[in-house]
Amino acid sequence: MSDIAVADGEAARRGNARTAAVDSWRPPDAKRVLQLSLAAIWLLDGVLQYQSFMFTKGFGQMLAGTASGNPGVVASPITWDANLVEHHAVLLNTIFATIQLLLALGIAWRPTLRIALAASVAWALGVWWFGEGLGEVLNSAASPVNGAPGAVIIYALLAVLLWPSDRHAATAPFAAARAVGAPVARALWLVLWGSLAYFALMPDNRAPQALHDMIAGMASGEPGWLAALENHAASLVANQGLAASVVLAVALVVIAVGVYLPRPAARATVVLAIVVAAVIWVFGEAFGAILAGGATDPNSGLLLILLAAAYWPVRTVVTAPAATQPVGTEGARA
Amino acid sequence: MTPSWILDILAGLMLLVAAISAGRLVAARAWAGPAGEADIDVAHLLMGIAMAGMLVAGLTTLPNGVWDAIFAVLTAWFGWRVYRESRREGVRVLADGHRMPHLVHSAAMLYMFAALNAPAASSGGGMSGMGGGSGMAMSTLSVPVVAFIFALWLSVYVVLDLDCLSGPGHTRGSYFAAPALAGATAGTRSVSLAAASAAPAGTSARVAVAPEQPANGGTPMSAGGDRPASASRPARGLLLSPQVAAGCRIAMGVTMAFMLIIMI
Repeated sequence: MSDIAVADGEAARRGNARTAAVDSWRPPDAKRVLQLSLAAIWLLDGVLQYQSFMFTKGFGQMLAGTASGNPGVVASPITWDANLVEHHAVLLNTIFATIQLLLALGIAWRPTLRIALAASVAWALGVWWFGEGLGEVLNSAASPVNGAPGAVIIYALLAVLLWPSDRHAATAPFAAARAVGAPVARALWLVLWGSLAYFALMPDNRAPQALHDMIAGMASGEPGWLAALENHAASLVANQGLAASVVLAVALVVIAVGVYLPRPAARATVVLAIVVAAVIWVFGEAFGAILAGGATDPNSGLLLILLAAAYWPVRTVVTAPAATQPVGTEGARA
Repeated sequence: MTPSWILDILAGLMLLVAAISAGRLVAARAWAGPAGEADIDVAHLLMGIAMAGMLVAGLTTLPNGVWDAIFAVLTAWFGWRVYRESRREGVRVLADGHRMPHLVHSAAMLYMFAALNAPAASSGGGMSGMGGGSGMAMSTLSVPVVAFIFALWLSVYVVLDLDCLSGPGHTRGSYFAAPALAGATAGTRSVSLAAASAAPAGTSARVAVAPEQPANGGTPMSAGGDRPASASRPARGLLLSPQVAAGCRIAMGVTMAFMLIIMI
């Protein structure tokens, strides 16, 4: 027999079971779905951190490499941290991986949502500095195609935008505005995508072979089908660095200002953002090089897709009863 | 290499899941009769034993071929159950059906055993070379993109389970309601899906709608419906509670995602 349960037997006996049972469950709203998506990515991050490579000296050396090109005040702490990790790889990496796992579980577990999101911001900022060298934004190596401004800073941005507060829910035109308000959310979007456009046009990135070399370099160690895909994409942009960079920059600028446009146009630019992020994730980042082994996260493309989803314009917004939601995540939309 | 003590801890966790699942099977039989969840507990029991063997060589129990066959059967079984759910409730069950996570878990196990490239130094049968001092990271999986997809999918189910457990009225439709049959709370009753199918459009058959008539003349029934509730309700409530089932599924999902990723 296929069975389902009535949670409230007393109500059932009163003949109100249908109503009681239906009322007992509410599907997560858009904001909660985004929070859970963030949690799932943190969980993936956590298990990636348990890979064999992370427990070797190679991980510390990888961290040390991010100091290169950064000012001394930024680079010195990275070098110090990398040395520490190199000498205590097993202990520290176990702690790192477990922290990320706990962040994921904490975001998914409603009573700990706030503390987990707050901790994730602090952790992400730390990793952005000590693990990613501030996303290389202070040197000429940053490119939107290879993960600038650093995947982990987008985790922090998402945590802020998805904070379980609905102070602005009544007027929020998209989920990302419900906690911080539309002006702040739009400004953050503008800064992020605008900075990506700026990085795309930096001299090192618009060199004739820059994009080709960047994409072709991702093929190493990947499965055959993905390596072939990377090599084919690289050949398409060979010697087209300037043109490709300009096209990419224009698309990124359109995306950046899209949130200020009327709803239909804003939706179109969010779709464009998702497409661009997907192209970056597949061709520029090879799915974060996860399939090659040794990746610490899925890189920025997947996070940009999630971020774009948080900016999807909604038609109307109504205030919702929050009495039964312990973390203020409710907020139905018409 | 991933430290062996981490693998040992996870193997211990999987054995605990297996033991709990075995306990649930026995308890359901002893206290409540068939609860309709036996297939899930059997699956957890088998997965727990198999995964412990994959993680630690000394815990290997059966040859790879046997596990292949077992998980092929389990995958087919849950595939059939999901198909039946989809016939009643539509394709939505592919996203949140009660047995969909178990189908994914079983398929992931089948993939792991079928796609495993054992290390050359492996001695003995199949997985035994993975565990112990050398660690399972020495082994790799063929078609790693499948491992990545499964890991991501399992991660989604883990966070969904946690959200449901901690949310208001943690009976998330058909995905989560069935374990409540185990009868953790007084007054909980099993109902037939036939009754649920009478739900009006819009409410759907995700949740129960009406209690069955007590078969014993009015005495509140236990989960299976064929024995009266007894004084052992607190113990039953603990072991057969949906929270325990979900906890097992969460532990298994995290461990399985871990195994898939480190074998890429």
